[in-house]
Amino acid sequence: MFKQLSRAPGRIARPVWVGLAGAGGVLRELMRSPQSALGTLIVLFFLMLALFGPQIAPYRANDQSSAPRLEPGGEHLFGTDYLGRDVFSRVILGASSIFRTAGFGTLIAVVIGTFVGLFIGYQGGTVDEIAGRVIDALLAMPALLIALVILGIVRNLNFEPGSWQARLADNSVLLVIALVYVPIVARVVRSSTLEIKTREFIEAAQMRGESRLYIIFREIFPSVVPALVVEASLRFSYAIFLVASLGFLGVAARPPSPDWGLMVNENRGGLYDLTPWALEYPAAAIALLVVGVNLMSDGIRRAVQKSG
Amino acid sequence: MSMAEAQTVLQVENLSISYKVNGGWIRAVRGFQVEVRAGQIYGIVGESGSGKSTAASGVLRYLAANGRTELESRVTFLGEDLLAKSRREMQPVWGAQIGTVPQNPAAALNPSIRVGEQVAEILRRHRGLSRQDALDRTVEMFRRVRLADAEGIVARYPHELSGGMQQRVVIAMALIASPQLLILDEPTTNLDVTTEAIILDLVRELIRDEQAGALYVTHNLGVIAQLCERVIVMYAGEIMEDARVEDLFVHPLHPYTIGLLNSVPRLGQTKRDAGLISIPGTPPSLAELPQGCVYAPRCPLAIEICKTKPPLEAPMPGRLVRCHRWPEIARGEVSVIGREEKAVSPLAAGDLERERLLTVENLTKHFPIRRSLVQALRREQPAPVRAVDGVNLNIQQGRTLGLVGESGSGKTSLARLIVGLLDRTAGTIDLLGVEIEGSVRQRSREILSELQMVFQNPQNSLNPYLTVGQAIRRPLMKLAGMNRRQADREVQRLLEAVSLRAEYAQRYPGELSGGEKQRVAIARAFASNPALIVCDEAVSALDVSVQSAVLNLLAELQQGLDTSYLFISHDLAVVAYLADYIAVMYLGQLYEVGYGRDLFLPPLHPYTEALVASIPKMDPQDHTQPVRLSGEIPSPRHMPGGCRFHTRCPHKLGEICEVEEPPWRGAGGEHYIRCHREPDDLTGLQQWLLDEERE
Repeated sequence: MFKQLSRAPGRIARPVWVGLAGAGGVLRELMRSPQSALGTLIVLFFLMLALFGPQIAPYRANDQSSAPRLEPGGEHLFGTDYLGRDVFSRVILGASSIFRTAGFGTLIAVVIGTFVGLFIGYQGGTVDEIAGRVIDALLAMPALLIALVILGIVRNLNFEPGSWQARLADNSVLLVIALVYVPIVARVVRSSTLEIKTREFIEAAQMRGESRLYIIFREIFPSVVPALVVEASLRFSYAIFLVASLGFLGVAARPPSPDWGLMVNENRGGLYDLTPWALEYPAAAIALLVVGVNLMSDGIRRAVQKSG
Repeated sequence: MSMAEAQTVLQVENLSISYKVNGGWIRAVRGFQVEVRAGQIYGIVGESGSGKSTAASGVLRYLAANGRTELESRVTFLGEDLLAKSRREMQPVWGAQIGTVPQNPAAALNPSIRVGEQVAEILRRHRGLSRQDALDRTVEMFRRVRLADAEGIVARYPHELSGGMQQRVVIAMALIASPQLLILDEPTTNLDVTTEAIILDLVRELIRDEQAGALYVTHNLGVIAQLCERVIVMYAGEIMEDARVEDLFVHPLHPYTIGLLNSVPRLGQTKRDAGLISIPGTPPSLAELPQGCVYAPRCPLAIEICKTKPPLEAPMPGRLVRCHRWPEIARGEVSVIGREEKAVSPLAAGDLERERLLTVENLTKHFPIRRSLVQALRREQPAPVRAVDGVNLNIQQGRTLGLVGESGSGKTSLARLIVGLLDRTAGTIDLLGVEIEGSVRQRSREILSELQMVFQNPQNSLNPYLTVGQAIRRPLMKLAGMNRRQADREVQRLLEAVSLRAEYAQRYPGELSGGEKQRVAIARAFASNPALIVCDEAVSALDVSVQSAVLNLLAELQQGLDTSYLFISHDLAVVAYLADYIAVMYLGQLYEVGYGRDLFLPPLHPYTEALVASIPKMDPQDHTQPVRLSGEIPSPRHMPGGCRFHTRCPHKLGEICEVEEPPWRGAGGEHYIRCHREPDDLTGLQQWLLDEERE
């Protein structure tokens, strides 16, 4: 008697990714609530800066054409820093690196984590037991600590410029993000897989002699997608935070690149009294983007739950 | 105050309940009314989505967060207007004056508090009793609901109790504060028939003793017939008919009631006698109710006037019906049965024998139990769970073997061993003279295509992300070796064979009703043209009106394609309808096998007898008190020695039953039982019991 009537009988219920087919569907669903609409607009705004930054920014990142320490206003909307670089342009140009690092890092983590999670979840038994322990061990360490240790080591290695090791080292932040998030994504996918593999349609597939790969990707994977989408958007928001933190700690980007975290770090201390704007604007950009991504991922979670 | 008024416990008038779904209000219950008197059990019967549970929750003011009761509704309980009360004012009513027994007892009990404490708390909170007094009263109540070892059980946690025991605790909880009204929502639906029968006896007795009124919500007409004094039939949120139970079963006035009564298979009715009469179509969506009579789209008697809304009329005192044509039905001028469903070809008993398709010998499945640390140190191996223990059976070409037994008897394990979803511990499976491997992974494509399965839960048996067409096409291409074009054509043909329109191929399972999903699952099972289809509780999750149509479909397909079935169900009447042979299973072993009809009329083995006796009869006049099985099915880890049934057997001989495995005995023809008593002896015992009953 206490069961809830959440859906009228006979109502057409298409699976979530059919209902939300394409980015257009997702966007429409996100625009339903003011919070997630705001978050989505913020993210889209920064995404535009990331894509078209060089066309929008009035100056190049390291132009020192003006006097240093100019107050915000006039030609320099956000003022100039102690070296006379335009803070407005540097904030705009910084968007691309944070999107690239956090975005691709998350993407790699999601792809690898999904494979790992699906495989160990479906296989079960000893494989699952061992992989589960490894994942637990990795999760026990704080992400920032792992990242700091790895990046610290990589920075002290000298590779021949242009070699593959050097190119890998250049993308080390991105790879570290992927590394620390793989176990998290894998765990989420694994638990969904464990639930789905007990359903009878999986047994029906086994009874037609389907291969393991077919069952994992054709029968199980689609049902994992809703949980995966939610997890990916959440991971992305944490990744932005992590990239900014690493930049601030000085282990990600090197000066003079226009990295937001790095800019905050460079302009703190004594410089803060002279040019507070050179710290405040990049800090505000980080805060705004993190809030925006969080609001959006919240909206995605609700959209997925509603259709699922 | 007159006597009649004093007796009325609950009066509901014009109760309407709506739910907010996707921004719109859906009117789940419209104009519900009922008057419950003290000592009366009032049944509410209907299919899923009929609003029967919602109406009961509405009386309680216990709706989901998105529900509301419409303004014109009136609920009067002991002269008080319940709808005017605030949540706080409702609390003493909920706790002490109205007791509730929900469908799922496990969810109604707090898993981290001892059950005695939970029941006693009601007395402490609402009756102000001390801890010790409350606990004493609880023990007393536990005795009244016949919980063996009541003193011990008060100190147990819910997970330490079986489903039947949990439900008794919940009933004790509902009755402990002597409420004037009891609301029971499908309290026995999740239980085995044997346990259900005992709970029903208990409810009947307690209501009589307590002189409380009761609303009993169920989908099971047999339960209504055995338990209730009056009954309301609901459909799509409205009352269709309201009558005394005797009148309803003997002279139903509404076409829906007649349809429901006809669609339930009676024990002893088989596919060779006649097809089941089913109600065409499916219940309407509450969001898009038909204009006029809600039942008209499925009603065989619908005429022009049915496009206008029929009023709830009273053909005679104490009776209500919502149909324009009730006078004609009452006078017998029109018949609801439009056409006779045709039976599958009748056969003489001798003709039943055909060549063997599948032979199973000594099939055994033991699930090992993980050793505890202590056992590992002592180098002990814990006893395994003996789910299936040396079963021999055979299934003939084009015939149905029915398998019955309580849950925990190993039916599903046996089915999964045969189709290869479980690896067997021992034994052989022989298909058309070839011994086949244990697991699906080792079986060849030819073997796989010969053995298919229809699962219990239509919700889970189809992948929600694949269209119906994709689901059926896959086995065609994978097992029958068709190319894409041939497979697409065959999908159309299969959909037609299970009476679904061709455009269903493009739909997703979420867009189908339960019955339609099960038809798709049947089409998928038939795709590879298998020799044997295992149906594990294939119709159990369906509403009766839909269930009968699916049973007819299975019988038809079998006759057309000469496919064999292994048909498993806890519902004896359903098995008896479809099966040519029946095997009765208990704790991993078979105890009786024989021709379908012979087995149940009359049943011979004491276990079969108890199973048959437990089915709530569809006849309100039948008040015989048949045998009841005491206790629960033992755990297959601690198997009783000798005859496994001896712990619960009403006809136990003595020590021999505890020590020696009973032999198979012939009872005439192909009918065999496994019992220490002779078949004649058993027939005599049943007769003796019946005679004693009459005196």
